Amino acid sequence: MSCSLKVDRAGPLCTVQDGGRPNLLAHGISASGPMDIGAHRLAGTLAGACDETGIEFTRAGLDLQVESGGLFAGWAGGAFEVRVNGEHRPWPGVGRLAAGDRLNIMPGAAGNYGYLRFNKVLDLPMVLGSRATSTRARLGGLEGRALRAGDVLRFAGEGGHVQSVVPPNQAADCAGAIRITWGIHADRFAAETRRNFVGTPFRVTNAMDRMGVRLADEKGVFAGSSILSLISDPILPGDVQILGDGTPIVLMRDHQPTGGYPRIGTIISADLDRFAQMRPGEEVVFVPVSVDHAHRLMRSAKP
Amino acid sequence: MEQPSNQPLPSGKRHGPTLPQIVPLGDFALLVRFGQSLDDSANRAVLAFAARLEADGIAGVVEIAPSLVSVLVRYDPALVGLARLSGELALRLGGSDAPGENRTHRIAVRFDGPDLGEVADLLGLSIDAFVELHNRGGLRVLTTGFAPGFVYCGFHETALTVPRRTLVRPEVAAGSVLFAAGQTAIAATDIPTGWHVIGHTEFRNFDPMASLPTQLRAGDRVVFEVAP
Repeated sequence: MSCSLKVDRAGPLCTVQDGGRPNLLAHGISASGPMDIGAHRLAGTLAGACDETGIEFTRAGLDLQVESGGLFAGWAGGAFEVRVNGEHRPWPGVGRLAAGDRLNIMPGAAGNYGYLRFNKVLDLPMVLGSRATSTRARLGGLEGRALRAGDVLRFAGEGGHVQSVVPPNQAADCAGAIRITWGIHADRFAAETRRNFVGTPFRVTNAMDRMGVRLADEKGVFAGSSILSLISDPILPGDVQILGDGTPIVLMRDHQPTGGYPRIGTIISADLDRFAQMRPGEEVVFVPVSVDHAHRLMRSAKP
Repeated sequence: MEQPSNQPLPSGKRHGPTLPQIVPLGDFALLVRFGQSLDDSANRAVLAFAARLEADGIAGVVEIAPSLVSVLVRYDPALVGLARLSGELALRLGGSDAPGENRTHRIAVRFDGPDLGEVADLLGLSIDAFVELHNRGGLRVLTTGFAPGFVYCGFHETALTVPRRTLVRPEVAAGSVLFAAGQTAIAATDIPTGWHVIGHTEFRNFDPMASLPTQLRAGDRVVFEVAP
């Protein structure tokens, strides 16, 4: 039976995402994929998803209506308000939606990114092995662009079974320093600048999107530390680059594939989801760890 | 959480600028650096090393991305650790840098870019003389980067070097042929750029619907021709 959803309202930068398209850096294409991989995964588990495709929305949320058919939807990431036909539901959670049902996701208390996953497969073309949207490269998703009001999303297949899953207690591990490994240009910075970079709070600004997050250096850690622009090297998500005027930018999932600004550190995989959810105005403190330590954290975080 | 203080810098960095250098890039990649500035021999070493890695798979390596003077090696930390992979890479640093056979691409360019006159002036050449020198001899694809299918081709002889523009254009169209820093680049998508726009080509080095989305490979030879 056919199944489709209509987008009644989409906040800015609401995109279709899946596991992304790794392995294409040599072609000049960054991987994309969810800003908060853990939350994307949790929404999929809750929905009984049988593939990796879902919707990533931003702080303003998203309103959908089921046009035809029925399906299960799982939601997770940050702390949003969710209603089904006007009735409040727990976050994160799962709901069964039938034709005519309305799903309203409204701004909530925490986080920048939320996820909707389904027990049916979104019927969108694979582009270079993925349905993830890269608005920078205009690839994937719906015509390589963000979702907007009026878009209709169709589903294929009958849908998987939904097992009852107890959502984990949130609040765990959402505070504390963001851990980095030293960056590929850390040795280009003065020892004093490196010392000050560690432990000095920076502030997350509202200049943020899927390409990067600009930080405010209110304590002047990088004031006057001018490093000439370097020869371009490959970039990966989590790299902390310092612009010529001393502004730090954390590069995120839709980063440009190569860049020539000096990089002092790289946020470790275990902390990148948490950083992505930090809102403008929040303070971020960086702490260095070894690569081996980051690997141990990665292993202990495996579901 | 472990004590954060006194984490040493990655070990490769304490020994000064000895190259090549193997440094971690985050917790799932290593960067093997063959130069600190852009030069032809470092770029050739990059391509030879990347080819060696492609031919000789190392367990746990999931992506090899050559860049201008460095090679990114992405790995799965569940399959290989930092020390072992660094050792495996170091073992492969030596060896012959004889480049393999590469293809030649002839690319037709309309030399009609808005900066063509300025570039010729900067070099003290007439436009015709500049175009002739620009196209003479052909160039090598140094790398793909910055944007999908965007290729850097080099190197022109040193007399044909101009700096980038002081102002960045917020968008130039796919097919723009760009010139700066002794190189010619081809935009395969609409991009912002601070390079001089000297012409346009119908050639598009990016097709998201193709199984291989780009045609030019680092190391290939490119010969620019005046479009008929």
